[in-house]
This record gives sequence, C-alpha cells and structure tokens, in this order.
Amino acid sequence: MTGYRLAPREQPVRGGQGLAFLVGLLVALIVGAVLLVAAGHNPLAVYGRMVETSLGSPRAWSATLTQAAPLGLAGLAVAVAGSMGLWNIGAEGQIIAGAIVGTWVARLGPDLPGPALIPLMLVAAVIGGGLLAAGPALARAHLGVNEIISTLMLNEVAIRLVRYLVNGPWKDPESAGFPVAPELPTQAALPTLFSRANIGVLIAAAVVAIFGFLSARSKWGYELRVAGSSAKAAEYVGISLRSKILTVLVLSGAIAGLAGGIRLGSTSRIVEGIAEGWGFAGIIVAALALMRPANVALVAVAFGALRVGGVAIKGEGVPAAIAEIIQALVLFGALTAAILATYRVVSATPKDGGEGVLAAADSVSATVDLAADSDPDDEAGESS
Amino acid sequence: MTRDTVIGLIVSVIEFGTLLYLAALGETIAEKSGVLNLGVEGMMAVGGMSAYWVGVETGNPWLALLVAAALTALFASLHGVVAVMFGADQVVSGLALTILGLGLAAFLGQGLVLEQPRATFGPWPLPVLSEIPWLGPTVFSMSSVSWLAAALGVVTWLVFTRTRAGLNLRAVGESAATADTAGLRVVATRMVAVALGGALAGAAGAYLTLSLAPGWNEGAIGGLGWIAVALVIFGAWRPGRVLVGALLFGGLLALGPRLQTFRCSEATEQTLCLSRSINPIVVSMLPYLLTVGVLIVLSIRSRNRPSVAPAAIGLPYRREER
Repeated sequence: MTGYRLAPREQPVRGGQGLAFLVGLLVALIVGAVLLVAAGHNPLAVYGRMVETSLGSPRAWSATLTQAAPLGLAGLAVAVAGSMGLWNIGAEGQIIAGAIVGTWVARLGPDLPGPALIPLMLVAAVIGGGLLAAGPALARAHLGVNEIISTLMLNEVAIRLVRYLVNGPWKDPESAGFPVAPELPTQAALPTLFSRANIGVLIAAAVVAIFGFLSARSKWGYELRVAGSSAKAAEYVGISLRSKILTVLVLSGAIAGLAGGIRLGSTSRIVEGIAEGWGFAGIIVAALALMRPANVALVAVAFGALRVGGVAIKGEGVPAAIAEIIQALVLFGALTAAILATYRVVSATPKDGGEGVLAAADSVSATVDLAADSDPDDEAGESS
Repeated sequence: MTRDTVIGLIVSVIEFGTLLYLAALGETIAEKSGVLNLGVEGMMAVGGMSAYWVGVETGNPWLALLVAAALTALFASLHGVVAVMFGADQVVSGLALTILGLGLAAFLGQGLVLEQPRATFGPWPLPVLSEIPWLGPTVFSMSSVSWLAAALGVVTWLVFTRTRAGLNLRAVGESAATADTAGLRVVATRMVAVALGGALAGAAGAYLTLSLAPGWNEGAIGGLGWIAVALVIFGAWRPGRVLVGALLFGGLLALGPRLQTFRCSEATEQTLCLSRSINPIVVSMLPYLLTVGVLIVLSIRSRNRPSVAPAAIGLPYRREER
C-alpha cells in the first residue's frame, strides 16, 4: 500500500470533472451489467427498457421530471450548504418534516379553494423543513456542534415521527389497517403540467434556477464561498460567520422541505415512505454537481431517469435496487476519476527506516498526548 | 411487571446491546484512525444478507458470521480505496457506501426473503453459573456472540491503550502528517482500520439476521447502523463508554415493543407499572435525540476542555500536502 503515491499533475486534465462523471457512469453501467448477468438478466435489454421508460416518450419524460423535481431540490439543499463548506445530511428528514407540516396546514383548511390552499401548503412545507434544520443550525452556529451528525440523527427522528402520525393520530379510519393518513382535499393537488407531471416540476426548476443565479452572481453567493473557503478571511472582510451558518442551514432545510410539499401535492396523502430516499440521493446529486446549484438540475434529471427506469424494470422481475446501485457506483467512479484528473499515480520512493523512526514515533505519541491536554480549540468537524 | 418479564427484558437488552456494540466498536476503530465511515447502515445490510445466505445454505451460524465479516471488510475497503487511498471526501464516500450496500443487499438477497432460517446462535447457559438467580438466566446464558462482542471490546481497549499498534493508530487519527513524518504508514493503517470496522459491522448484521430477528428483507437494518454511528460519539470514542451507550440504546430498543406489558392492569398484581401508555415509536426516537443532546453537551464542555474526538477525523491525507 505504500508502493505508490498521488502527485499533482502539472496541468489538470481538461474538462476533467465532466469526464469524471462519464467515467463514473461507465463504471456503474459495467458493474451493473455484471450484476444483471449474474442474476440471469440480459443487461442490454434491461438498460434499453430503462432508457425507453424514462426518456423514450413525453409520458416517460413526465415521470422522469416528476422524480427529478424532489431530487433536484434535495440536491440543491445539500449544495447550498455545501457551497459554504457545511454538510446538510438531513434532507431526507427535512422532506418528511415539510410533508408533515404541509399536511397539518392542508387539514386545517379543507374548505379553502386550491389557489389559496396550495401556496399555503407549500409555504408550510418550507417552514417545516426549515424548522427541522433550525436545531442543528443553531447548535452549529452558537456551540460549534458538528452539523453532519446532528442533521443525520434528525432524519431518523423525522422518519419515526411520520410513522407515529400515520399509525396513530392521523391514521385513516377507512384505510383497513394500512398506516396511511386520510386523503387531502382534492383542491390540494398540484395542477397538471403535461402527462403525469404537475407544476411541481416548474416550481422546483425555478427554485434551482434562482439559487443557481444567486450563488454564482450575487454578493450573497460570493460571501458564502468566501466563508466556505476561509473562516478567517470571511470575518476579516466583515462577514458574520454565525449568521451565515444559521441562515444557510435553515435555508437548506427549507429547500428540502419544499420537496416534501411538492410531493404532498402530487400524491394527495402522507405515507411513511413519503421521502423515498431522495434526501440521501440528493447528497450524491450535490456531490456530482460539485456543490454548484447550476449543475444540480442536470444531474437530477439523469438520476430521475435512472429511478424511473429502475421502477419500470421491476415489472420484469429485475429488482429496482439496481437503480440505487448504479447511483452509488456513478459517484464512486466519478470521485475516483475526478481525483485522477488532477493527480497522477507515481511509485513512491522507498523510505529509510530503523531506530530513528521508532524514536520519532514515540515523540509523535507524546505530541498526541500533549495536544489532547493543551488544545482547547480543537473541535471535531472543524474541517470547513 | 413479573419476574419473567423483567428477565425477558434484560435478555433483550443484552441482545440489542451486542448488535449495537459490534457495529459501534468497528466504527470506533475506523474513526480513531481518522476515517469517518457513514456506511455502517449499508455495511450491516451486506453483512446481514450474506450471513443469512450462508446460514440458509450451510446451517452453520459461525461460518455464516465469518463469511459475512470477511465480505463486509472487503466491501468497506471500497470506502478505504476511494476516501483513504484517493483522498475523496469521507462524508460523500461513506454515504454512497450506505446507498450501495442497501442496494446490493436488496438486489442479491431478493431470493432469500422467503427462505426459512436454518442457522442461529441460541442461548449459551454456562454450567453452574447459569443457576444463579437473575444473573444466571440473563448474563450467564447469553449467546456466544455476546461473549465475543465483550471480548472484542476488551481487546480493542487493550490495543488502544497498551500497545504500539494502538498508539500508532491513534497517532494517525490525530495528525496524519506528523505520523507520516515519524515513519508510520498512514494509508495502510487507515485501510486496516476501515476493513476492521467493516468486519465488525458485517458481524453485527450477521447477528441481526441469524439470531436477533432471523430472516432477511431489504428493510432489515432499519436505521440500526445510524445508531451505531451515534454511539461512537455518545461513547466519546472510548470502547468502555461505547459499551455503556450500547446497553443504554439497546435498552431503549428492547423496551419499545415491550411497553404494553408494563401497563397497569387490574387482573394481575403488579408492583411496578406504567399508569399511562407510552408510544413505542416515540421511544424509538430517543437514541437519536439523546445523541444530539450528547453532541451539544460535548461541544459546551470542549470550550474549556480538550475535544475528545480524533483531531484528524474526516481529513484526507496526501503525502505531498505535508
């Protein structure tokens, strides 16, 4: 394992990131094909069917875009936090929180007309997602609590909260034992755009576009990137790190919450699996989009197609899990390829060993113990 | 609350504690070397599915557990290659490992869902000791996997605190550059730590699908892996404290489904009972909420005292960035 090392290339491979994505996709498709063959399926037929059902017709596109909308919002949520070097791993929970608060509001106003109820429901969902992120945001901004773990933990809390609601207080008495809430009033359904897609697609696209513009062109986006690259530089130029962390994480949760609201307006009732893994997939989307909102839309459509294709092949006895496998493998392949675009593998020169090394190792451990006693500012998760 | 229900509860606490401890101990080893691995949920799925597969095929629980541990160590090494050797972001790589593991286990385990369990770790009553009241039917009858988990905890603690290998591992996790300068093999150490973490997560998954809840379906892990990640922080990266946390969180998991049996009723005479109903789903949120609480307490404390987390956690290391 010490026979190699990574040395920076003098010039990074041109277009390396886009290339990395394609390499990742290729790796994923090849490994996926091996799995499919092992399971007794014809990979070309399966892939063909996946493409056909997700991109082959207007109806297929409507399904893909319907998946891409929450995926893109979840990816945007992660990317907005990520552009400041913060991790929101809690999009899954925030989508659920959005759907919960959205449902709560929709249940309050069953007599409102659609044009009033739908905006109310979506705003409620935004607030719900923001609220779930507010705890980790406050803890990070004021106490330096690692937001990776706190947002991650709240996912599981939100998953159990919706389980509690649909099994208990909100359980539909006419659902014959199924843990689902009663259907929302019909005017809460989002108007259809084309085929199976509704205006949720447009809302998501608009939000992604707005943040793509803001993060690339506005002072706000610039400040985020400064704060993300160097906390010291940010404070020097008068950016309040604390308020930035707070607003960005709450905003990130709110964006994910909107995905929950849109989902609610498409399915008409809240169920346990309302978030469908979009929150976790959103992290992959954001990572592949290099935390740039402008790229999020593209990756979200690609992954939306993958998911639609995955569901379609279920009918032919191929597990839908192949779509999840491909998504994760695209990321692994792309991560590795992206590094190979900027580094090259060279063989390491042998190092000298012997007495000196052992003595040095002792001094390291002494340093470690000292560091543990004397470095109060050394906090976990201060990598940003 | 009768004697039998209390003993049943303690047995269940030990079972859940064993499961959580195996996985959390593995994550502790990885994180001590400076590698955060958020793939525990997926690794447990891979381990649980493969163990159940081998169990159904051979009927041998130990073979199933060993195969699961070995395969999961290999699977975890994917995170090692991408995040340690290539230095990609550990958060992203770990989460992708979870998604991949859940996907692979669901895909490859599709045919196992309807299979009947054939291999399991039963209670293991020790001669004489198992006759002791209270301790006998609980601690001294626990399964061999529970003893294995306890032994691994002691070994890990000894290695961390008493051996050069443990010292090296901690040095790599505190400052990779310093450790490298001192001639320690940073990448190799971290690769081994990640693989060991995978092996233990795989063993935890195996114990789940073979013994604790025999059977396989794609929802089998159900968030237990995230509890293991939480436990490492809850236990402040120390094998002993992680054990206390594993028993506490295991207690909450064991208590949830049993809450109904602790309700007061007129029919049976009960000395201790609950007068109000507590929803088991609400109880199942507690491990996660407690972890967030502990994180907050740790952060407040670390304002005046040194942090307990390995300093280099989450930071990739490349030689030329020295």
